[in-house]
Amino acid sequence: MGNELNRRSFLNAAVSAAGLVAMGPLLSACGGSGAQRAGVNSDAGLKAVLPAYVPNTSIKPDIPSVAGGADVMTDPGFLSYPSTRAATVSGIPGKGGRYSAVTPLWGTIPPADNSFYQAMNKALGAQFEMKPADGNNYNTIIPTMTAAKKLPDWVTLPAWWSPNFNTGGLVGNQLADLTPYLSGDNVKKYPNLAALPTAAWRAGAWGDKLYGIPSFSTGFKVSGCTFYRRDVFEAKGITADQVRSAEDLMNLGKELTDAKAGVWAFDDVYRYTYTAFGAPLKWKVDNGKLVHLFETQEFLDAADWSRKLAVAGYVHPDALAGDNAAGTTRFYGGKTLISGGGTGGWNLADHQSGQAANPNYRRGAFNFFSADGKSAPRVYTGSATDIISYLNINLKPEQIEECLSIANYLAAPFGSAEYTMVNFGVEGTHFTMEGGVPTPTDAGKKEVQAQTFPFLGAPAQVISNQSAQNVTKDITAWQAANVKALTKPVFWGMNISMPQAQATAEAAQPVEDTLKDVIHGKKSIQDLKDAAATWKSSGGGDRLIQWMNDNVLQKYGTGQ
Amino acid sequence: MTTLRSDRTRPPARLNWRIRLRRDRSLILMTLPAVVLLLAFNYAPLFGLVTAFQEYDPLAGVWNSPWAGLYQFERLMSDPLFWGAVRNTLYLSFVQLVLFFPVPIALALLLNSVLSQRVRNFIQSVVYLPHFFSWVLAITIFQQMLGGAGAVNHFLRNNDIGTWDVMTNPDTFALLVTSQVIWKEAGWGIIVFLAALAAINTDLYEAAAADGAGRWRRLWHITLPGLRAVIVLMLVLRLGNALTVGFEQFLIQRNAVGHDTAEVLDTFSFYYGIATNDYSYGAAAGLFKGVISLLLIWGANKLAHAFGEDGLYRR
Repeated sequence: MGNELNRRSFLNAAVSAAGLVAMGPLLSACGGSGAQRAGVNSDAGLKAVLPAYVPNTSIKPDIPSVAGGADVMTDPGFLSYPSTRAATVSGIPGKGGRYSAVTPLWGTIPPADNSFYQAMNKALGAQFEMKPADGNNYNTIIPTMTAAKKLPDWVTLPAWWSPNFNTGGLVGNQLADLTPYLSGDNVKKYPNLAALPTAAWRAGAWGDKLYGIPSFSTGFKVSGCTFYRRDVFEAKGITADQVRSAEDLMNLGKELTDAKAGVWAFDDVYRYTYTAFGAPLKWKVDNGKLVHLFETQEFLDAADWSRKLAVAGYVHPDALAGDNAAGTTRFYGGKTLISGGGTGGWNLADHQSGQAANPNYRRGAFNFFSADGKSAPRVYTGSATDIISYLNINLKPEQIEECLSIANYLAAPFGSAEYTMVNFGVEGTHFTMEGGVPTPTDAGKKEVQAQTFPFLGAPAQVISNQSAQNVTKDITAWQAANVKALTKPVFWGMNISMPQAQATAEAAQPVEDTLKDVIHGKKSIQDLKDAAATWKSSGGGDRLIQWMNDNVLQKYGTGQ
Repeated sequence: MTTLRSDRTRPPARLNWRIRLRRDRSLILMTLPAVVLLLAFNYAPLFGLVTAFQEYDPLAGVWNSPWAGLYQFERLMSDPLFWGAVRNTLYLSFVQLVLFFPVPIALALLLNSVLSQRVRNFIQSVVYLPHFFSWVLAITIFQQMLGGAGAVNHFLRNNDIGTWDVMTNPDTFALLVTSQVIWKEAGWGIIVFLAALAAINTDLYEAAAADGAGRWRRLWHITLPGLRAVIVLMLVLRLGNALTVGFEQFLIQRNAVGHDTAEVLDTFSFYYGIATNDYSYGAAAGLFKGVISLLLIWGANKLAHAFGEDGLYRR
């Protein structure tokens, strides 16, 4: 089955079970009732502190961003690497300070004190002791530091682990409040930080104060979408844009499944289709009353649709056997043709891996649709980023200012001189320009491509797959076609920290377990109904809903 | 020294202890590393059990987490999912006891009857090998062979025979996992029995054969009595571990057959304790399992002694 049971996939399983995948701080919960927590972000309180937004216009993208609703826009696209490499920071940002930094790294840890670190220290004007830590074990490495109150000067705390780190309890106790330095017009001292979208700052705000510095922020954050094999569809003469309802999608199952040839139309798609049925992401407010996903008929309808898909034999047997890890391999190999997944998986690396399996490989994504085919398509947007770095509370004010100047350098826009330095290193040593594309040398692959500094600070996301322009065009076109469908869910960006009992109830393991059995065709919708009813009465569900109503909805509103 | 020696109230055993210490000095030194390991990794973590009586908060730590008394155990006792896990664990354990336990014994007897040393070594290597595979790999092989898209079903489908759904069928799950255990562990399990067989005096066989005893009589009257002590020891250990049927094997296949069937106590602790940050609840489930296991092993050992066997230790 190829199940990679490393810690990360454990965690992902746990996180996605809690329905939190890629939605990070949106619904994050704090562990324990003993520790002090930051509370909840309120709309009015945040408005007073959020940094001013001053977009950077010096480097023009080939495909400009398209605006959607409030805080929503597509990522700009670059078909080639900007040749001018304009500088956005004058002088050297640092003042010779010494700082330690811990960042997660999914890959081989580069050697300490390597030539790239030395070049970066020179460019930044400060001595950074970079300590990248194994991303797969990151959720166990950080708690040992927080328990000993020995966090480094600068640390990345990915938002999907907020419950594990108890980030809401660390801010103000071990992590510095950046509000005085960044709120309102103060941020204009750091123009590249001011160019980060407001929603990204919100993701790092706790209890109406600014703590986190966001990296890799985007205006197009969705938990995922339904992908298809565009090359296969086009060869069969199927136009994906014609899929406008759940029924259309189901019909593709019959058309594409050929079990004898080892081809099944679908991998698991429930997580990426359930909101199409009108089900809320997790909460909705109905005539002033707070309603949980598990209480809605739409939730049952969505599960039933996925169940029918499985029972009809349109889903790959390995997916029904619970093997998600090999899903990408099945998709590359053409064993499945439709598969749900995070939008982050659609990039140059995917293109290259796919083409290695099949030279015609082309990934496409269905437009978001509503299940009945009549209502307006809608998909919920998450907070603008999950990668957020924090500064240690023990730093002196002048040290915090120095670090923020350095963050300003790190957040320089795509294609600038600073961006090239942070992401590719020194030309000639770490990369060479080949056909207008910065191409890493062996030293660059080892020391620079294992990303460290961008986890402390980075500009807003752009779409750029230089050697595969079609991928950039496909993604930007898909985002532009769907940007209007992005909707803020209830409690968007409020960073809610809740007591342990409520957090456990929210994870709702028994319901999630039953749901898995239902969408794999092993249990009935009545079983799911029963599981949801049990969860409400004796699994803490009713108490969770009451708590959310009293402590969040009534006090702070919906945050939409 | 003189004061000690003149201390008449001390029992004479004291001297014995010192003499024994001097005599066994090198043996004790040799076991020391193992004892240290045991203390560091098996006994020291026992202090963590205190979290079962708390509302443990990882950030606050063990010392500062609020006490909850027996609250976690009350939750456990009234949780139908927990009892489901207990039931599954006992059922799977029972099926494995009946279907798996005799296999290594039979295999050892068969192997022992092979005379050619070369054939014996070859068979031994082949049956040992799967033990060194991880569960992930073992189940992958089963899935590739017997899964819905695996080799067997691919053949059946292409010949229009209809498919055989064994990897995701909850009704036959106990048989599936037992056959997986047999495939993976039976070869490894024969080692201890082969050692016991080698210890049986071959003179007995020759004498019995001279008296006209056939193959089955020799098996019944010489081989099995020779193995009895080891079989009872393994049985005692097995009963003591009745609540430990494995973790990874079930974790990996839990989604395939559903949690109703595949949830065992260890996966329960993981999913309802660790995965949902409810550490104290997981610790309570673990402690419950530990106490019951201790009672089981104590009971089984008593039973072995009652039947005049050594059990875990000589009485």
